[in-house]
Amino acid sequence: MTNFNWLLDGSIVGLYLLVTMIAGLMVRKYVGKVEHFLVAGREMDVYLGIASLAATEFGIVTCMYTAQNGYEKGFAGATPGILMAAAMAGVGLTGFVIKPLRDSGVITIPELLEQRFGKRIRWASGVVIVLGGLLNMGVFLRTGGQFLVLVAGLNVRYLEIMMTALLVGVAIYTILGGMLSVLVTDFLQFVVMSVGLILVTILILMNVGWEKLVTTVETNYGAGGFNPFVNPTMGWQYVLFNLMLNTAAVLTWQTIIARVLAAKDTRTGRRVYTGTAFFFVCRFLIPGIWGIAALATLGPVANTLEAMPSYLSTAVPAGLMGILIAAMLAADMSTDSSYMLTWCSVIYNDILAPLRKKPWSERKGLFWNRTIIALIGVFLLLYGLWYPLKGDLWTYLGVTGTIYLASISVLLIACCYWRRANSWGAGASILVSAIIPVTYLVMEQLPATATVAKTIGPYYSGIATYVLSGAAMIVGSLLKPGVHSERRPANA
Amino acid sequence: MPSHWFWWALSMACVIWYSTITIYVAIKGARDIRNMLARLDATRKEEAER
Repeated sequence: MTNFNWLLDGSIVGLYLLVTMIAGLMVRKYVGKVEHFLVAGREMDVYLGIASLAATEFGIVTCMYTAQNGYEKGFAGATPGILMAAAMAGVGLTGFVIKPLRDSGVITIPELLEQRFGKRIRWASGVVIVLGGLLNMGVFLRTGGQFLVLVAGLNVRYLEIMMTALLVGVAIYTILGGMLSVLVTDFLQFVVMSVGLILVTILILMNVGWEKLVTTVETNYGAGGFNPFVNPTMGWQYVLFNLMLNTAAVLTWQTIIARVLAAKDTRTGRRVYTGTAFFFVCRFLIPGIWGIAALATLGPVANTLEAMPSYLSTAVPAGLMGILIAAMLAADMSTDSSYMLTWCSVIYNDILAPLRKKPWSERKGLFWNRTIIALIGVFLLLYGLWYPLKGDLWTYLGVTGTIYLASISVLLIACCYWRRANSWGAGASILVSAIIPVTYLVMEQLPATATVAKTIGPYYSGIATYVLSGAAMIVGSLLKPGVHSERRPANA
Repeated sequence: MPSHWFWWALSMACVIWYSTITIYVAIKGARDIRNMLARLDATRKEEAER
């Protein structure tokens, strides 16, 4: 039984959806060129950037896996958020990588890589970025649908319909307005999402209480619930893998980088990073508290991913329930729209465009961008329906994200700062970074190799990918005969 | 001081910082959108005149 009231809560959700759709569609008239569509004409300022980045990086899927982390690991489950905030603040303050990237005036990362490593590397990096990004995003829809169905108390057989309706709504305004619609709707979604997250957290802290949350973690996980290094399911390898993963994500995750590239100048891009840094602690800790509250109230459950929404369905009263669902819809829609646009920008700019001798006209370019977004939507529906998720969600996202994060972060750092880096090293790094995580994912799915995959574990496999990807860049670059430097580093 | 002060302080910091930044960004972000659309409109008109 859920507290969702169709009249009261349904009206709040309906009003939110209506306002978002109108706002998203209204700005489509400003889209005249591909640059408007992909990077909003590079007119984004600091606060819009902060709202957009925060809204994009918090979807229902984020809420689900961070709450699952809280449920399964206690407060220590928020460790990745602290690591990401530290990485974000460090990069924003120093301008490491993002300064030369924004100064170069490119639309995507592979475009900068071409300036240093050539056309083939641009194309190959575009392919791994899209492969890793789409596999990562593939589980967003199902997880989002799962949350909404559980919280609103709908029948599970409506999950597919919920997923499709969510995606169609988002796709319409993203296809028409591109990055401009994404930014404007992200802003509205940030406000709605934040209000919902804060109110529900205050309610939980008041109803469950801090001492009960702490006692629950102590009883279930002991010291490991507060310290990741002594938690048997985490340990140094978890912390190190997450440090590498989050630093690489801050430097190269295309949806994050898209805000730097859409910023009106480099200083604005850096300020967006420093201004959003602490949000990444909230992004893990707030849903983590929800997950711990679910553990305190429901006790052990079979499906830990569903514990938090099941708990909220009865803990949140009518009225606030509408705000919560509007907040989660806002979180999901902003993430889906940004992700679809981002992967579209790479497919258009780095996979399709380099294959053409003559560039597309602005009109044709817009047509192809819109078509690609629609096709990504179809892929997400199909993939979301059939992929059976095994293990915890954060680890799946980490492993699929690593397919490109490891190599592209190595390539980008080398491109900006290492004079001897060249195309051999870049190619080797891409290859190593793709092979290890894909092999791990396949081994995990096959019954014959599932035990071996479990023994190795996602953290060691992830660490190996980052280390070997870096080593491949060094060895490959040094092995290439002839000139030591093909082109100058991007920061030179 | 509540038990496990580090996590307590971090949780409280999250609620307070997030509440404050939401209000601040809601006000300043709306201004950013207005300025962004005005600049894009001006560019569009300039290009149409050429």
